[in-house]
Amino acid sequence: MHKLMMLPGSRLVQHAAIALAIWVALTRLNQSVDPLLSYYLALVGMYATAMFGMTILVGLSGQVSLGNGALMAVGGYAFALTSLNWKTVPILGLPWNAVWSVVFAGIFGILVGLVIGGLAARLKGPYLAGLTLGVAVGVPAIANRFPGLFGGENGLMLTVPYPQGGYDASAVDTGPADTGADAIPTEAPDLPTEQAPIGGESLAPSDLLTVDDLGGAVSSAAPSVAPSDLITPDDLMGATGAPIASMPAEPSALASAGTDLGSTASGGVDAGSVDVSAVGGLILEQWQATLSITMACIMGFVALNLVRSRQGRTWQAVRDDSIAAAVSGINPSRSKVSAFVVSSLFAALAGAVFAQLLTYVGPGAYGLGLSLSLLVGIVLGGRASLLGAIIGAVLLVWLPVVVDRLSADRGWPEPVTNNAPNLLYGLLVVLVVLLAPGGITGTIRQSLAPVLRRRD
Amino acid sequence: MTTFIDYLLGGVSSGAIIALMALAIVLIWRSTRVVNFAQVGQAMFTTYVALTVRDATGNWIIALLAAIAAGAVLGLVVHWLVIRPVKRVDTSGAIIATFGVLISLQALAGMLWGGDTRGYAPPVSNDGIQLAGRIWPFSWYDVLVIGVTIALVIGLTLLFTRTNIGLAMRASAFNPEVARLSGVRVSRSLAYGWILAGMVGAIAGVLVAPTSQVSPNSFDILLVFAFTAAVIGGLDSLVGAVTFGIGTGLVISLVSGYSDSSNAPVVALVLLALNLLLKPDGVFGHHHSRAV
Repeated sequence: MHKLMMLPGSRLVQHAAIALAIWVALTRLNQSVDPLLSYYLALVGMYATAMFGMTILVGLSGQVSLGNGALMAVGGYAFALTSLNWKTVPILGLPWNAVWSVVFAGIFGILVGLVIGGLAARLKGPYLAGLTLGVAVGVPAIANRFPGLFGGENGLMLTVPYPQGGYDASAVDTGPADTGADAIPTEAPDLPTEQAPIGGESLAPSDLLTVDDLGGAVSSAAPSVAPSDLITPDDLMGATGAPIASMPAEPSALASAGTDLGSTASGGVDAGSVDVSAVGGLILEQWQATLSITMACIMGFVALNLVRSRQGRTWQAVRDDSIAAAVSGINPSRSKVSAFVVSSLFAALAGAVFAQLLTYVGPGAYGLGLSLSLLVGIVLGGRASLLGAIIGAVLLVWLPVVVDRLSADRGWPEPVTNNAPNLLYGLLVVLVVLLAPGGITGTIRQSLAPVLRRRD
Repeated sequence: MTTFIDYLLGGVSSGAIIALMALAIVLIWRSTRVVNFAQVGQAMFTTYVALTVRDATGNWIIALLAAIAAGAVLGLVVHWLVIRPVKRVDTSGAIIATFGVLISLQALAGMLWGGDTRGYAPPVSNDGIQLAGRIWPFSWYDVLVIGVTIALVIGLTLLFTRTNIGLAMRASAFNPEVARLSGVRVSRSLAYGWILAGMVGAIAGVLVAPTSQVSPNSFDILLVFAFTAAVIGGLDSLVGAVTFGIGTGLVISLVSGYSDSSNAPVVALVLLALNLLLKPDGVFGHHHSRAV
């Protein structure tokens, strides 16, 4: 393996080169595909960011946690609240900028991670899983508990900061401290005509997600629907029986779906009401994907360095035998807490990206289903592998799309369509644990091992 | 003071149901050292079975028996197909596998019965009993729930103390090697543990259905409460599970009464965290010395 990756310079340079190459490739891809695929790309980047943290926590450190969805909520809410309420950076006094919101999302993630990780380090196996399960279930309750601050069940509407001008995420009033007030969607009238082919021509009708597929009972009048109607906890983890919140009904994707469902000509107008200002040649989904890809590549770089560092080996040593590690001078509980805190940072940053993808934060989007889907993704991809995290992220986004297509072709009834992805995930998780604990990457590596060894 | 007593009374029957679910978790932990996070998934599934049978027959007791039978089968199936093969592979794997089972069962239930929340009419009135000039927050249904719980606890106690099967199960849980050498069929005893747990969970599901409604996810919160109760009780102890199950029900009822029901999961979480910090082996648990 190492011979294949012989790049000049230190390991740091190699990792940077890998991350940069992936970033360039994905950015190119993002600019050439239609908005729906860009949106999927954005979701993959978001999941990958969170799951790099899961690789470290579950894979390297051996702590099975269901709390990372909740930590994503911490990041998402921190991002939303700081960008909605703060006009300047506290202490520093600098003018506010979305990047600061991301920074604060990370800081809050680390702080909450310290608290939960401090508890978690004393716990083993099922106790940790149970405690973090409680966290995953309890966090939405906290959002409901302080409706004044967190917006309660309805959550908070957000705007996605564009590089220039701005973007008004929705037609409805976004409540207190709407930073989108100065958004100028003036270019809207011209652009839809350019966008219509992107969404309209390249996809055949059967390839499309229908509005129903995206969110169950969401009405098709997406742009004007209040957030409470779009995403309720029931939609995401309740009545539809979907613990995996992989495909929440976000306004923009609904709009594109609406575009595609209608005729191409009128569809462009629909899209225009949401996918308004294309700044720098990017429409909203492409901009969201750019943010998400960039975050995933930066954090992937960080994770790659951590995994292949002394710290990475420390985590694995404690996972494999904490007594032996302690004898070798490692502090096991410090190692466990550090893994938890690092994964919290990843989760919080992914949560901030997720908030941008949904242009919304709310208890339903960050429920138990999100935590479970992170666990599913990491297990399927390969618990201890960063590549596995990426593969898992792709699976989480891609499988529901495939099921939707199959369902549209075969005419499956709605309950089957809605639940088929989760049934697959659940069964696959059990099968992977039983037959191939290394997940996809582990299995491939195992089957390639004899070949590679012969070469050496 | 009257409100305090009212809140306490209101928490007894929900506590009894939490106790049953905690019992199911403890039964499995004792036999296989696995926390079965799919337990509420199994209970949800068997409650749907009960719902179907009840729609067909109109009889609450037949529906309950159907759920118990389904619970036994499901427990055995999960043990045979998932837990027994996975257990020795890795410790994280068993936990992850139970979550896989939970996700599968919830999706399967959504497929078979749809995602809509369904009601489950109680067999006896669920309205407060009128006595001594006032309406008490206690119904005949609560009486039924508590009666069934007490009967089950007595039955389990007799099973574990007075029967050969119970003795074999205790021996297998206490020390599988020695039990095997003494002629106990350990793997069969472990399977009994899963069957029993499945049955107890199924009863809990049917009992909780009238108050929580039935949907693929409506029992999730019960898992958190039951896990809390089981862990505080020591995970090993049947007495602990029942005591702290009812205790959890009372605390939740008080919290919901005096503040807001949305606080209940947070309170359960705080209780769990405090307990894990202060008394990691639980109140009734055996103390295990831990490395470093």
